Amino acid sequence: MYKLLLCLRYLQTRYLAFICIVSVMLGVATLIVVNAVMSGFSTKLKDRLHGVLSDVVVDTDRMEGFPDSPEVMMAKIKASPAGDRIEAMTPTLEVFAILQFHFRGQLMTKPVRLIGIDPAGRASVGGFSEYLVKNHATPEKAFELTPEALQRHDWNVKRAEVANPLDLPDPLAVPSVRPLIPEPNALPAPAMEIGVGTPELKLYGVVPGYTLAHFRYRNDQGEVVEEAALKPGDDVTITTVGGNDLKPVWGNFLVSDYLRTEMSEYDQTFVYVPIDQLQRLRGMNNRATALQLKLKTYEQDKLFVCNEVRKIYPYADINIATWEEHQGPLLSAIEVERSILNILLFMIVGVAGFSILAIFTMIVSEKFRDIGILKSLGASSHGVLSIFLGYGFLLGSVGCVLGTAFGLYITAEINAIEAFLTKLTGTAVFPRDVYYFKEIPTNVDPLSVLAVNLGAISIAVVFSLLPAFRASRLHPVRALRFE
Amino acid sequence: MLIAENLTKAYRRHAVEVRVLNGLNLEVKTGEFLSIVGASGSGKSTLLHLLGTLDAPDSGKIFLDGRRIDNLPSRDRDELRNKTFGYIFQFYHLLPELTALDNVLMPAYIAHSTFGWFRERSVWRKRADELLQKVGLGHRMKHKPRELSGGEMQRAAVARALLTNPRVLLADEPTGNLDADTGGEIVRLLRNLNRDEGVTIVMVTHNLEIVSVTDRVVKMVGGVVTDDTKKHIPSPKLIAV
Repeated sequence: MYKLLLCLRYLQTRYLAFICIVSVMLGVATLIVVNAVMSGFSTKLKDRLHGVLSDVVVDTDRMEGFPDSPEVMMAKIKASPAGDRIEAMTPTLEVFAILQFHFRGQLMTKPVRLIGIDPAGRASVGGFSEYLVKNHATPEKAFELTPEALQRHDWNVKRAEVANPLDLPDPLAVPSVRPLIPEPNALPAPAMEIGVGTPELKLYGVVPGYTLAHFRYRNDQGEVVEEAALKPGDDVTITTVGGNDLKPVWGNFLVSDYLRTEMSEYDQTFVYVPIDQLQRLRGMNNRATALQLKLKTYEQDKLFVCNEVRKIYPYADINIATWEEHQGPLLSAIEVERSILNILLFMIVGVAGFSILAIFTMIVSEKFRDIGILKSLGASSHGVLSIFLGYGFLLGSVGCVLGTAFGLYITAEINAIEAFLTKLTGTAVFPRDVYYFKEIPTNVDPLSVLAVNLGAISIAVVFSLLPAFRASRLHPVRALRFE
Repeated sequence: MLIAENLTKAYRRHAVEVRVLNGLNLEVKTGEFLSIVGASGSGKSTLLHLLGTLDAPDSGKIFLDGRRIDNLPSRDRDELRNKTFGYIFQFYHLLPELTALDNVLMPAYIAHSTFGWFRERSVWRKRADELLQKVGLGHRMKHKPRELSGGEMQRAAVARALLTNPRVLLADEPTGNLDADTGGEIVRLLRNLNRDEGVTIVMVTHNLEIVSVTDRVVKMVGGVVTDDTKKHIPSPKLIAV
């Protein structure tokens, strides 16, 4: 009984105990906040990495695509034992290309990854509709041009026809921070010709990556400004290679939407066009270069499905891989980062542990006489050891409870705190243009909070072991004579 | 009742050895109020620590009711200190974080587990209340040691020493830190306890004035008993008590 009584009394009356609690509290709060932010970054990054890839991707490097048409491939896979485990499938056609468009009279060219998709099918395997800026609720309309886009297209055509296109008012214009470059000859009329295949006088939509279609720069005030280089209705020319002799082919498309994954790699290089148009452009007869598969239960079925598809297409030049295998190097980099961070965090906890050791040693020194009194009254060495171990446990527990509350509060308010610190210091703590995240992502994992708490309590107990052992070994006569 | 046979004890620090007890022999009878006097360094306190199993002799034996106690396992010695011996110290040695009542209850706290304590706490509370009333601290139960005077602290220490009805009370200069009047009160309290409840008391002191109330006075010089008499130095003041 005396152990519990003294633990509680020491906790209430020792200012050193308060320092110890604050030490544990700060350690725990730091660990929870850092873990939550790191996990938030990691989860968001993983989401993004998974992002535009379906669960399993079957692809080939053959220029002419798969040997079978997508319909035949999907029928074969559906009929295999893996068929029941697949929720959705869709073919895609991927090829490198050059995107050209005019911006303020200048011709812009960008190397891109051109992907032909069936928008409804692509949406069914995930990682598409949620990233569409305008049509995320109706992905099947991703390539459809809205009346506003068509109006802008008409205006572009008219502008090319007049002597000075800058005289025409832009009906959808937003105020520009940069002066327009008066170079009318640089603005061509949109040409709807198709390089290979049958020319059609139809307007086709294209969904470029958000960063491809926007410029970011800092203004005089140092603020990040974003300006649309391509607006819905603007025309772009996409050049790639096609035909048996791989000659340059090109087509004109009108921007219908943007893809905004917030992963710069995708947003800077991906351009989606209707798969049938890309097949026509490249002179491919209903062939695809990739098949995207969505599984019913990914973790459980990924290996089985990959193996079954491999049995159907056992060719070296047909690659079957999960999204994780596709993103292997990046995922490994995240894991390495996490491991290094954990080592660093452990060192922080170690420092907190040593402060507990120092404070406990002081507390035990202060309590020398009490230990002598207790022993003279019949307390055993084991009992004295239990008092100080219990005291360490209690300090650790109280510190953990307060630290957890404090850490969770900081995690919940981290963006407000970041805004306050940015205002206070004048320097952006979390530069949004670097990370492409609107706010600091956090993800509180209850298991990790529990692990931090258990770890901190264990460290408090372990580091109180040495002083507690010293206290228990103290000779009562020496302790009673201690001044 | 309590017999020390040929006790020796030396303290060593580096190469220097200080012999404190040199073959000391002593017998304490049941119900006796024995005082041990002697100059500083004569080994009085060391003898008290050995008798109360707080320390072990280098050689020699200590018997309690014919049972050797100096070589008992630590668990048995802890139990003896908790139930059989009661300690009173010169500097009171109360635990500063606890109230007078909790200090008095400490031997009972030590003797019981948490659950055991909650079963028997009312009995012990009653006993502590009675003892504090007896020593005149009934109104100071909730006070912490720093709020008590020296005499009050020593009376609380006496109450604590008596809580478990010990058979032997070991008092190490109980008046050494008190003024003459307060010291006299404490000694009268011990005398009454010895007379009324039959508690055997061994008191170490260098105050020759207070030994007159004890049954027997033992004088120590150089770690041995040199004189063993009754009412060695009479004190008119204390006899009047």
